[in-house]
Amino acid sequence: MPEEPIIRLENVWKVYQLGKVELTALKGISLDINRGDFATIMGPSGSGKSTLLNMIGALDFPTRGKVFLRGKDITSLSENQLSQLRGKTIGFVFQEFNLLPNLDVLENITLPMVFQGVGSEERKAKAERLALAVGLKERILHQPSELSGGERQRVAIARAFVNDPEMVIADEPTGNLDSITGKKVMEILTDFHKKEGKTVVVVTHDPNIASYSEKIVNIKDGQITVNHQQAAKVLWGH
Amino acid sequence: MGSLKEYFHIAVRNIKTRSLRSWLTIFGIIIGVFLIISLLSISEGLKATINEQLQALGGEMVMVMPGGDEDIFSSMMFGGAKLEREDIEAIEKAKGVDTVIGYSYTGTPARYEDEVKQIAISGLDPWKESLEIMSIFQGWDLADGRWPVKENEILIGQVVANDIFSEKVKPGSEMVIKGRKFIITGILKSLGSKQDDSMVYMSMDVYQDITGEKRGTAAYALVKLEEGVDENVVAEDIEDALSKTRKRRFGTDEADFSVITSERMGDLAGNILGIIQLVIFLFAGVAIVVGGIGITNSMFTSVRERTREIGLMKAIGAKNSAVMIIFLFEAGIIGFTGGVGGTILGAGLAKGIELYGQVHPMFYFTASVTPGLIMFGLVFSFFVGCISGLIPARAAAKLKPVEALRRYE
Repeated sequence: MPEEPIIRLENVWKVYQLGKVELTALKGISLDINRGDFATIMGPSGSGKSTLLNMIGALDFPTRGKVFLRGKDITSLSENQLSQLRGKTIGFVFQEFNLLPNLDVLENITLPMVFQGVGSEERKAKAERLALAVGLKERILHQPSELSGGERQRVAIARAFVNDPEMVIADEPTGNLDSITGKKVMEILTDFHKKEGKTVVVVTHDPNIASYSEKIVNIKDGQITVNHQQAAKVLWGH
Repeated sequence: MGSLKEYFHIAVRNIKTRSLRSWLTIFGIIIGVFLIISLLSISEGLKATINEQLQALGGEMVMVMPGGDEDIFSSMMFGGAKLEREDIEAIEKAKGVDTVIGYSYTGTPARYEDEVKQIAISGLDPWKESLEIMSIFQGWDLADGRWPVKENEILIGQVVANDIFSEKVKPGSEMVIKGRKFIITGILKSLGSKQDDSMVYMSMDVYQDITGEKRGTAAYALVKLEEGVDENVVAEDIEDALSKTRKRRFGTDEADFSVITSERMGDLAGNILGIIQLVIFLFAGVAIVVGGIGITNSMFTSVRERTREIGLMKAIGAKNSAVMIIFLFEAGIIGFTGGVGGTILGAGLAKGIELYGQVHPMFYFTASVTPGLIMFGLVFSFFVGCISGLIPARAAAKLKPVEALRRYE
C-alpha cells in the first residue's frame, strides 16, 4: 500500500472577493506532495503560485475542494489544532526571512519549539546543532539586524527545520539574495533533503532554482500546466 | 508553564524594542496610580487624624467653634474666626454647663538650647481649672516633671519633648518663645493625637500677651458638662444661648457657630470624608482610564506594526492563545511598571506631607501608606494593563496567518 502523501490537494479552488469583483486564484488544482519529494512550483507573477503555496502549507482554506494534511481534512480542524499540526509537520522559509527582530539568532531558531512546548534544554541543544549545520554557530547571540541577508535566510532555514518537520516550504528563498548567496542557501536546503530525507517544496519564478528539484509544477492562471519529474523537466517559459 | 516563561520573555523584548513609546505609555499609568495612591493614603490619613481628635473629645465634653458646620474642619486645621468674650459668657450661662475652657493655638518659632524651631503653642483659660479638667476628662497625665503653677511655666507634649529639637527637652529647662523666657515644668504623656502631642501649653493670658490676640477671645471652647446631663440637650441650650447673644450683637439669626458633640462630630466627619473619598475615586478613576486608553492605543499600534510577526508566529505553530498571552503580558508589564512608579511616587508624596506636618505641627496628619494599599496599587495597575490590552490582544490572536503574512507586502 503506497504511503499517504504529506499534503494532498483535491480539486482546490480559491476565489477572492475584491469588492464586487471575484478573482479566481486557483482553478481546480489537484496535487500530491509525497514524503521525500523536492518539488518546485513555478509560474509568473499573478499565476497563483503563492496561493497554491498557502494551500500546501495549510495556511489558508480553499473556497472549494479539499486539502489533506497527513490525511486530515484541514477544514475539519480548528484554528488551534491546525496551528499545532502545521507547527509539527511543516517548516517555512520566506523571501523576506521573517525573523523576529527583537530576538537573537538562537531565540529565533527555537521559536517553533516554544509553541510546541519543548523544554528549554532540548530547545537549546537542537537550535545549536542546527545553527552549526547552517554555519552560524558563532553568531547565535547576534540580533537579526547584525546579520547579512544570506545569514538571515540561513537562520530562517534552521528555524524551519528545528521541529524536525516532514516538509519545508520555501517561498522565493533566494529572491532577496545575490546569486552566490542564493546558491549557498539552495545548497543548504538540498543538503537537508538529501541527508535527512526531508520533503522540500520551493516556490520560485527563477528557472535556475528549479534545477535543484526533482519534481516541477508549472502553474499559470491558477491551473497546473505541467507536473513532471526532473528527468523530463520543462522549465516555465520554454 | 515553561512556555509562559518564554512568552513573558518575548513580551519583555518587544517592550524594550519600542522603549520610548513604552515609557510614554507607562508614564500615563504612573500618573493615574500616583493619584490613586497619594490621594487614598492622604484621605485615609486625614480620616485617622480626625478620628484621633474625636476620641480626644470624649463624651463628657462638647466643643463650640466659630463658623458654620461647613467650616468646622477648616477652623480646626487652620484657625480663623474667634469666639468673643460675650459668646463664652453665654455658653457659661447655658443649662447643664459646668466649666467652659477657652482654647487658642498658633504656630510660632521657639528657641531651645540655641536651636530655633517652629512649634505650636496653645493657651487655655482658665489655666488651673483647665489643667484639672483635662487631667480628669481628657486623660492628661505627666510623663515627667510637675504641673505648672506660675505664669511663666509651661507644659509640653511628647513630640515637642522628643522630636522637634535635636536635644531632648527636659523639665526645668528654659524655652524662649516670642522673646519671653518660659520654664518647662512638665512633659505630658502622649495624648493619643500627634497634634495635641506637638503643643506647648500655657495660660491664655500669657498666650494672648505674646501673640497679641484680643483678650477674652478663644479659637474654640471646650465645655465640660455637669454630671448626668444629656450632651444633646445641653448642646441645644448652648445653641439657643449663643443665638440670642449673636442676635443681640449682629441682629441676625444666622448660626455662624457650631456646637459639636462627639456624636455629631462623628457624623460630620463620616459625611465629609465620604464625599472627599468619592471625589478622589472619580479623579483617580479618570486618570486611570486615560492611562488605560494609552495602553490600548500603544498595543493597537504594536499589533499593526507587528502583523507580519504575528502571521509568522501562527504559521510556525503558535496557537491563538499564545499570541494573546504574549500581547497581554506586554500590556500587563506596562501597567505593572506604571503601577510600581506610581506607587513609589504616590507613597513618597504622602510621606512627604506627613514629614512636613512633623516640622509644622499645625498641618499634622499621618499618611496611611499600608502594605495593603501598595499591593492594591500594583495588582490594580497590572489588572488595568491587562484589561486595556485585551482588545488589541484579541485582535492579534484572531489574525489569519496568511492575511497577516501578506499584509504590508
